[in-house]
Amino acid sequence: MAKITQDQAHFLLLKINSLMGLIPIGVFLAFHLGINALRTVGPLQYQLSIDLINNLPFLFGIEIAFIYAPLLFHSMMGFYIYFSGKRNVGHYGYPRNWRYTLQRITGLIVFAFLIYHLGTTVAPKIFYGKHQFLAAPFLMDIMNAEFQTWSGRIIYLIGISSATFHFANGLWGFCVSWGIIIGQNAQRNASIVFAMVGLVLTFLGFATVLEFSLNPIPVTPTVGE
Amino acid sequence: MAQRKKKIIIVGGGLAGLSAAMKICESDQAEVTLVAYQSLKRSHSVCAQGGINAAIDSKGEGDSPDNHFYDTIKGGDFLAEQPLVRDMCYKAPAIIHLMDRMGVAFNRTPEGHLAFRRFGGTLYSRTAFSGATTGQQLVYSLDEQIRKYEHDGLVQKMVWHEYLGAVLDSKGVCRGAIIHDLRTNEIFTLAGDAVILATGGPSQVYAGSTASTVNTGAAATMAYMQGAKYANGEFIQIHPTAIPGRDKLRLMSESARGEGGRIWVPKREGDTRDPLKIPEMERYYFLEEKYPLFGNLVPRDVASREIYDVVYNQNLGIGGQSMVYLDLTHKSKEFLQDRLGGILDIYKKFTGDDPKLTPMKIFPAVHYSMGGLWTDYETDSAGMIEPKSPRNQMTSIQGLYAAGEADCHYHGANRLGANSLLSCIYTGLMMGPGVLSYAAQVSKSTEDVPSSVFDDAKSYWTGRFKSISQLNGRENPYKLHRDLGEMMMANVLIVRDNKTLEKAFNSISDFETRFKDVKCVDSNDWANPTPSFINQLYCMIQLSKIITKGALMRDEFRGAHYKPEFDLKQPSDFDPHEYIHYQEQKNFGEVKDDAFPKSHLDYMKRFEANNNKWLKTSIAQFEDNQPNITYADVNTSLMIPRPRKYD
Amino acid sequence: MSQKTIKLKIKRQDNPRSKPYWQEFEIPYQPLSNVISCLQDIQKSPATANELGVNPVIWDCSCLEEVCGSCTMIINGRVRQACTALVDQIESPIVLEPMSKFPVVRDLMVDRNRMFRALKKVKAWVDIDGSQDLGEGPIMADSVRATRYTLSECMTCGCCLEACPQYTKDNSFLGAAAFSQVRLFNLHPTGAMHADERLEEVMGKGGIADCGNAQACVEACPKNIPLTDSIADISRQTSLKLLKDLLLK
Repeated sequence: MAKITQDQAHFLLLKINSLMGLIPIGVFLAFHLGINALRTVGPLQYQLSIDLINNLPFLFGIEIAFIYAPLLFHSMMGFYIYFSGKRNVGHYGYPRNWRYTLQRITGLIVFAFLIYHLGTTVAPKIFYGKHQFLAAPFLMDIMNAEFQTWSGRIIYLIGISSATFHFANGLWGFCVSWGIIIGQNAQRNASIVFAMVGLVLTFLGFATVLEFSLNPIPVTPTVGE
Repeated sequence: MAQRKKKIIIVGGGLAGLSAAMKICESDQAEVTLVAYQSLKRSHSVCAQGGINAAIDSKGEGDSPDNHFYDTIKGGDFLAEQPLVRDMCYKAPAIIHLMDRMGVAFNRTPEGHLAFRRFGGTLYSRTAFSGATTGQQLVYSLDEQIRKYEHDGLVQKMVWHEYLGAVLDSKGVCRGAIIHDLRTNEIFTLAGDAVILATGGPSQVYAGSTASTVNTGAAATMAYMQGAKYANGEFIQIHPTAIPGRDKLRLMSESARGEGGRIWVPKREGDTRDPLKIPEMERYYFLEEKYPLFGNLVPRDVASREIYDVVYNQNLGIGGQSMVYLDLTHKSKEFLQDRLGGILDIYKKFTGDDPKLTPMKIFPAVHYSMGGLWTDYETDSAGMIEPKSPRNQMTSIQGLYAAGEADCHYHGANRLGANSLLSCIYTGLMMGPGVLSYAAQVSKSTEDVPSSVFDDAKSYWTGRFKSISQLNGRENPYKLHRDLGEMMMANVLIVRDNKTLEKAFNSISDFETRFKDVKCVDSNDWANPTPSFINQLYCMIQLSKIITKGALMRDEFRGAHYKPEFDLKQPSDFDPHEYIHYQEQKNFGEVKDDAFPKSHLDYMKRFEANNNKWLKTSIAQFEDNQPNITYADVNTSLMIPRPRKYD
Repeated sequence: MSQKTIKLKIKRQDNPRSKPYWQEFEIPYQPLSNVISCLQDIQKSPATANELGVNPVIWDCSCLEEVCGSCTMIINGRVRQACTALVDQIESPIVLEPMSKFPVVRDLMVDRNRMFRALKKVKAWVDIDGSQDLGEGPIMADSVRATRYTLSECMTCGCCLEACPQYTKDNSFLGAAAFSQVRLFNLHPTGAMHADERLEEVMGKGGIADCGNAQACVEACPKNIPLTDSIADISRQTSLKLLKDLLLK
C-alpha cells in the first residue's frame, strides 16, 4: 500500500469521524435509548434487557471496540473541529448557521455529560465489581437515586437532548459531507426526516427519565446470588 | 549559448492584456510580467454584458465574416482601418471556438451548439453570449489560462501596481516600464524587450459614464505625452441605455433590445401616469417608427441621438425628466430570467423596480472610446495582415504596443455592440507573434542598455511623486475631477457645436490653472491612492484636450461625432446603392445628370467632397503641452465608403 | 433649516500593522446615494464630524455594478458590496468595517490574495492544447451550461468566506468559492479529464472535509450561487474517489 500523506490522513480522519458518528456511535445511541425506554413498559423488561447485554460474550471487547474507542476518537476529533472554526451566529444568524453552532456546543455538552454518566454508572460498576446478573440491580439503584433529585433529572434531560440533537443533525451533516444528498430541496427534506428521528429519540429518552422519576422501583437480581 | 528568454511587460489585466499574455506564454519564448492596477478578475472588461460577435451563421441566415466586416465598417462610418477589421472578422469564429474550448459558459441551442442573439447594427444573429455577463465570463476564462501559466511559472503577476510610463533610451526606443507599487508607494523600473499597454479606455474623463473607476486613460495618455500618437480621440461612444445613478451610470445592455426590448416615451408631454396604464395608442415608439428595418436595434450613435432629440428637442422625456422607457414587460418572466436575468437583477438592485413588471427608465451615458493610441500594422502582398510582423499593434514609440480599448483602428467613428470584446481578444492574440518577433530582433537586448536610462526614469518619477505628495493648495483633486467631468458632459457629448466646443477647450486651461493649486489630501505613506490619482487627473486634463480639440476641428458629422451644422442632410428616399452606381459611373467616365434624382446627386457630391476632406484618422501629438492634430488617410481599399442608412 | 444628512461610522486602519480606530462622518443627503457615493463625497471633502482635514477613507472599488467584487466590506455588521448598498435601504448610521477574514491593507481595503491562491491550488482552469484554431468546442447541453454559468458568476469577492464560521484568518481552509470552482471545471467535458487532480487538491488539510456545513456562505453570496450544492457535490465526488482509491487501486 502506498504511503499515506499527511493531507490524505487528514481527509480520511475527518471522513471516518463523520461516519463514526453514525456507525457505531449513533446506532449505539439509538439502541441505548430504545432499550432504556423499556423501563416505561415495566421494570422487569428493562432489567432483562440489561441482563442480556451484561451477559454478552466478549462484552469488554465489544464495549471497547464499538463504544469507548469510537467515542474517544469522535471526542478528540470533535475538539479539533471545535477549535478549527470561529462561530459567528451573532452576525449571521441563519438557521443552518445556528445548527452548525449548536452541533459544536452540544458536542461539548455531551462530552461533559458522558464523563458524568460514565463516572456515575460504569465507573462504580467496575469499581465494585458488579458484573453480569449483578449489574442490572446495581445500576438501577443508582438511576433510581439519580432521578430523585431535580439536579439529576435536569442533567439527564440536557444530556439526552444534546445527544439526540447532535446525532440527528450529525446524520444530516454526514449525508451532506459524504455527498449522499446534494440539492437544496433534498437537503431540506432530509432535515425534516432527521429532525423526526431526533424527536423520536428525544421522546424515548425523556419518557425513560419520567418513568424513573415517577416510579422508582427497587429491583432484585433475576438470578439468585 | 542557450538563447535568453525575452521579457515582455504587459500592462492591464483585462481581455486584451490577458489574451496577449496567453499567446505569448504559449510560445514559451518569453517571460511575461503582467502589471495590473488591481487584482485580476476585477478589470473593466467584466462589465461588458451582451456578447461577442462572430459570423458563424449557426441559424442559416446567410451571415458570413464578410457581412460582419461590412456591418462593422458601416457601423463605424468607414473610419475604421479596413484590412485590420477584415482580419478581425475573419478570425472571429475561431476566437469564439477558442473561448468555448476554454470553458466559457456560452448559451447553447437545444442540440448543444453555440446560441446566438441579435445585436445593434446588424440584421443577423451574430452575437454569442454567456447569460448577461459575457465580458465577465470571457475575462474569467482567460484569467484561468493565465493562472495555469502562473502555476507553471511562465507569468509573474504584479497586481496593485500602476504603470507610470515607458523607459525610453536615447533613440526613443522603449526598453521597459516605470512601475508604481500602490501599497508601498515605491517606484521602480522593469526592463523589458517590449511593453504592451492594454490599459482600457478613458471614460472617466466624463462624469456620467458606464466606466469603472479605474478607466482614467492615464497609461495611454502617458504614452501620448512621451511621443506616441493618439488617434480619433473625439470619437466617444454614448451608450443609449444606462441606469441613472449618482456614483456611476450603470449600463443596461443592448441585449435587452436584442431580446425584444422596446424604447418608447408617452406621446403627451409631461405625462406622469404609471407606464403600464398608458395605452399602446398613446406611446411613441420613436425608434421603431423612424427606422422600420432596424427598429430598436439601430447602432448606438443613432439610438443615443434619437433619445437626445426626443428628450431635449421634443420635450417628451418621462415626466419631463431626461429619461425614456426601455420596455420588456411584454416578454414572459421565464424568458427574461433565462436570457437577461443578470442585468435585470442589477437594474432591480440599483433602482428597486423590477423590469419584468415595469418598464425601465434609462438614458444615454458615455461608454467607450473608439479612439486611442495609434498603432501600426503590416499587410502582405495580398493585403492580408502579416501575422508575425513586429509592426502589428506597435504604437509610434518603438517597442511600445497597444491593444484593446486603448488602441484605435477597429471601430471607426462608432463601435457596434458586441464588437469590443472581439477587438480586445483579437488584438491581444494577433499581436503576440509580432511582439515576439520584435523582441527577437530588437537591436540591443535590454542588458546592453545603459543603466542610466533606467536610473533617470526612476529618479524623474520618484521626484514627481514626491512633489505631488507635497502639494498643498486649495483644490481637492477628486472635486476637480468631478468638475472636469461635468464640463465634458455639458459640452462634448452627443450633440456638438463649434461655439460650445471652443468655449470648452478654453475652459480646460482653467482646469490646468486649478490643477496647479491642488492639495494632496492624503498624507499617509502607505497605500495612498491620492498622489496616483492626482497624476491621473493631470492625464485626464490632457485627454480632455485631445477629445475637445479633435471634436472642435472635425467639421463634419460622422458616427458618434454629431455636429448638426455639418449634417449632409441625406434625402429620405435615398438608397446607399445609388452611391455605388454613382462611383461606378464615375470610374467608367462621366456621370450623366439624369442618372439620379437631382437632390440625390447633390447629396452624393456633398458626401464625396466631405469624405475627401474628412474621411481621415485624426492624429494628436503632444507639443508644447497642447495636442497638435493632423490627419492621416484611412485604408478604405476593401470597401467603398458610402452613406449609412438604417431605415 | 435642518438639512437631511447621512451619518457614517467607519473603522479605519492606517496600515496592516497599526491599530484600528473609529471615525464618524456626516455628509449631506442626496437621492440615489449608495455607500460608494458617500465614500466619494468624503473624498471630496475629507472631514469627520469634529475634525477637519483627515485623510480620505480608502476602499477598493472598480465596476460599481456588482460584477467585479472589489468593493466588498462589512456594512452594518453584514458582509456585502458597497455599490449595491443603497442609503435609502439601509439603517443609519451606516457602520463600515473592512472584511475580517483577510489582512487589512488600509481602512476598508483588504488583501484577498488567499482566494486567488486557492484558485491556483485547485487548478481552476480547463487544460487546452493551445490557442490555435482547433475547431469547435465540445457539445454541451444547455442545462449543464446553465449550471456552469451560475457557478462561473463567482467574482471572488469573499462574502462566502467572511460569513463562514469555518474560515478563519489563521487556518488554511479553502472555502466555498474554491470548492464551487472545482465543481465548475469538473462539469466541463474537457475540464472533467483532469477532475481527479482537482479533487486531490481539496482532499487535504483545509479541504472539503473541513467544511462544517454551516451554509452561511450560500446566504451571504450576492450572486446567489448554489454554493452548498457545490459543496455537497464535491463531497460526493471526493467520497467516491476515496472509495475508489481504497477499493480499486
